[in-house]
Amino acid sequence: MIGNDVVDLQLAKTQSNWQRKGFLEKQFTEEEQQTILNSENPFLQVWLFWSMKEAAYKCYVQEHQKRFFAPKKFKCKILSKKEGIVQVNSFIYNIKIILSDFYIHALAVKNKNKKMVSALFFINKKSSQTKITNQYLLSYFSDKVKLHKNEVGIPFLYEQQKRLPVSISTSHHGDYGGFAFILENEF
Amino acid sequence: MLVLSLKNISNNMTKEELIIKLKVIVKPYVQDEQAFKNLSEETDFIKDLKINSANLVDVVLDVEDEFDIEIDNDSMEKMLSVKAAIEIIEEKLSA
Repeated sequence: MIGNDVVDLQLAKTQSNWQRKGFLEKQFTEEEQQTILNSENPFLQVWLFWSMKEAAYKCYVQEHQKRFFAPKKFKCKILSKKEGIVQVNSFIYNIKIILSDFYIHALAVKNKNKKMVSALFFINKKSSQTKITNQYLLSYFSDKVKLHKNEVGIPFLYEQQKRLPVSISTSHHGDYGGFAFILENEF
Repeated sequence: MLVLSLKNISNNMTKEELIIKLKVIVKPYVQDEQAFKNLSEETDFIKDLKINSANLVDVVLDVEDEFDIEIDNDSMEKMLSVKAAIEIIEEKLSA
């Protein structure tokens, strides 16, 4: 299982106000809130945690096929500049973090030994970001392969009505898109 | 019988009013204008209105402010559609 999440930091500045009353309390654990408030760059810490939670959530939903909105249940720990973990109930996800001045790309996997392919790209358009992101991912597969989301919003690859046993994830936000998939068959 | 039917009417009106108020709240976060125009009880905040999941918490906070209620974590967990939001608001208002 794999999940990925992209945050366009420029857009995040205008799209959400993390300093709004109740914003941190509703989404972050006490420990995360302390880390955010003690951080040199609280804004960046907010979106790093958020992106980790979102990537882990995508993994979790893929496995459990049920949607919900409970960001606080996804507990983040940063291990290094490039690595973290997210725990939800009894499940643990390993997070790979790719951070630049412009974006955050978080990748969540259950088993970090599995080989994966991921990419982050600039989208030079203000519309059809979903389509463009999907095209980037599909370029790694044969022409006959199509992407469809199921009723809980999980994307799957299909080749002539037949679902491929590949775990994939797509994400886009503002000027950036990203995807990831696991090379071995997952289901 | 008459009392019962009047009660039903007033409940229905309240739900309509709630949907109108909710529509005003979600408007700034909506990214699919067509889905917003056709908003109904069945509308999903993320799948249909394409609200960014990071803005879902703004919807929750705005609903709390507008109706002067507190949405606990268990309720927030379900707040993914207009229908779920209406149910939660009604439940909290009558509590």
